[in-house]
Amino acid sequence: MATLQELANSVIEGDVERVKELTQELLQAGVDPLEIIDKGLIAGMDVVGTRFKAGEMFVPEVLMCAKAMAEGTSLVKPHLAGKELKTHGTFVIGTVKNDLHDIGKNLVSMMVESAGFTVINLGVDVSPEAFVKAIQEHKPDILGMSALLTTTLPYMKETIEAIKEAGLRDSVKIIIGGAPVTQEYADQIGADGYAPDAGAAAELCKKLVGAA
Amino acid sequence: MGISGGIMGGSYKPLSQKQIEQIHEATLEILENVGVEISNQEAQDILATAGARIDRETNRVYLPRKLVEQSIESAPSEVLLAGRDEKNDLLLSGKRVYLGTGGTALNVLDLENEYRPATLRDCKDIARLVDALDNIHFFVLPVYPNELPKEEVDVNRFYAAIQNTTKHVMGGVYTIEGVRKVIRIAEIIAGGPSELRKRPFISMITSIMSPLKFDVAYTELMLEVARQGIPIATSTCPMAGATAPVTLAGTLVQQNAESLAGIVLVQQVNPGTPVLYSAVPTTVDIRTMDFLFGCVEMGLMNAAISQMAQYYNLPIYSTAGVSDSKLPDAQSGYEKATTALLCALAGSNYVHNCAGLIDKGMTVSYAQYVIDDDINGMVMRAVRGIEVNSDTLAVDVIKQVGPGGNYLAEKHTLKFMRSEFFFPNVTERRSYRQWKEDGAKDCWKRATERAKEILASHESVPIPEEIERRLAEEFPELRV
Repeated sequence: MATLQELANSVIEGDVERVKELTQELLQAGVDPLEIIDKGLIAGMDVVGTRFKAGEMFVPEVLMCAKAMAEGTSLVKPHLAGKELKTHGTFVIGTVKNDLHDIGKNLVSMMVESAGFTVINLGVDVSPEAFVKAIQEHKPDILGMSALLTTTLPYMKETIEAIKEAGLRDSVKIIIGGAPVTQEYADQIGADGYAPDAGAAAELCKKLVGAA
Repeated sequence: MGISGGIMGGSYKPLSQKQIEQIHEATLEILENVGVEISNQEAQDILATAGARIDRETNRVYLPRKLVEQSIESAPSEVLLAGRDEKNDLLLSGKRVYLGTGGTALNVLDLENEYRPATLRDCKDIARLVDALDNIHFFVLPVYPNELPKEEVDVNRFYAAIQNTTKHVMGGVYTIEGVRKVIRIAEIIAGGPSELRKRPFISMITSIMSPLKFDVAYTELMLEVARQGIPIATSTCPMAGATAPVTLAGTLVQQNAESLAGIVLVQQVNPGTPVLYSAVPTTVDIRTMDFLFGCVEMGLMNAAISQMAQYYNLPIYSTAGVSDSKLPDAQSGYEKATTALLCALAGSNYVHNCAGLIDKGMTVSYAQYVIDDDINGMVMRAVRGIEVNSDTLAVDVIKQVGPGGNYLAEKHTLKFMRSEFFFPNVTERRSYRQWKEDGAKDCWKRATERAKEILASHESVPIPEEIERRLAEEFPELRV
């Protein structure tokens, strides 16, 4: 029979098909769905995170592993039957208004998801109003904003202003990132955090919800 | 992750076929009509028997075309310089490229940034450091142990290196007794004289003086190494504007004459002996007569002389990747990278001096070895060139991703990402902020830290204990 360790190893190898197979086998064998997630999928992803930090694994590999884990998770979800899937919280992310840059934001999204958050990815060119609406709808613990252009950077400030005006600022932590973003800028516009790369963003999220 | 040696170069060709032939003809004219000065009587006798015309009064030896051609024919076109570990074997031939250290420096710039005379301890530590650096493919004894009496230098220098690296060890030698003892030590480690000749993990350098002169003592050493059938480099270092003509073409003619004269003598002493066409062409600063080892003309000439060796189908010992700078800085970076690239892209086989050396070869820097490991990796990646086939052309994946997508998580990316790129170790590639928060360290500082880490943790494959005991008994002067 398939084991949780094998499942974790397949996540580490980024073998999407094998992860799907093993997850099915484990479900059919009656293994607790929560255990499949915690001790199989997430356990594998934890190793991936460690190896990525040590420089042994590269971004494309991490993305493959994250994809494998997400596929596995989606197979398990229907079997949870009311059981609460434990996550560190909900994370809403988007690239700010007039900015169409996708890759870095998606990378952060996948890393944060792999770190154990429920992630809602709003896409690119997200207006301040759309961010406000998403907070009302999803009630996230953390909101992430991305910008690659110095010309779109001011929308981060505008979005925070809009969130304040809507009376939602205290309900959510706000983190920002992207090539032109600095810690100083984060402080200046009243964000709660800044991360220079996707790995650091996942760490930052955990820290903000007291999980690290 | 290093790039192993032996990749084919040859894309850079500073000389045309016609120019190669012009240099060849000019060289034969010099060897036949000017000749070389050889004071050693035994060498004179051997060459006289082989057909050279000798003027015994002036010690001038004239080498006719036929003798030169016959000696080139007699020399092997492929030379194995083995490593104590097979994975470090070098097969020198054609346009295969290997990069390694050089010597002999008198001083070291150590990891506390102290500039001091080199010791035997440095020979050991540098060997151990280089053993862990993948883009340095062989080990030429780097420093002179200043604290030892001359008669103990040869054995101790060689053994310090053999003990601490499984890469091929080549070194200059100082005494006949030293040459014999070093060979004996290597035979014991190899398991016998024929085993050593089959897989020679040591080789020796004996010098010829520019212009065109075989010094008495060095020639004696050269004869001994050749007789013993140990691979040999007959190094000669003509300096354009001082000990060679000011023109680069003229220096190449003289260099070629000296290199071929070395081949002739070694082949006439012991036909078939593995000998490298040996070249160290460089220049002086004509404004001041300062010796130069990092100038672009040196890179050019070493590339060109590699084409000459290829013309003769002889493996070459060449020179690049050194610097005139006194410390690991921007100058050492650009001088090393420029000369090493030119020489390696020309398909030079055994590019020595290509790690650690600064200060015109008078000093080695521990940190510089680590930096040069990155430079050499970049150079080897350039030598490897661009692979073009239906898979690397990537038409399928371009179709699949389409406009506006990205290649981050494509199988094609995963398949090639580790082989397409060279990954340096101490090269800073992060953002300004990350670099600053990590201590704002320059390349020298980062390399110093890495060298310290390696020396604190890395051990080479040890010499078996019983052999070590036997060596200590037979060679009481060994400081093991």
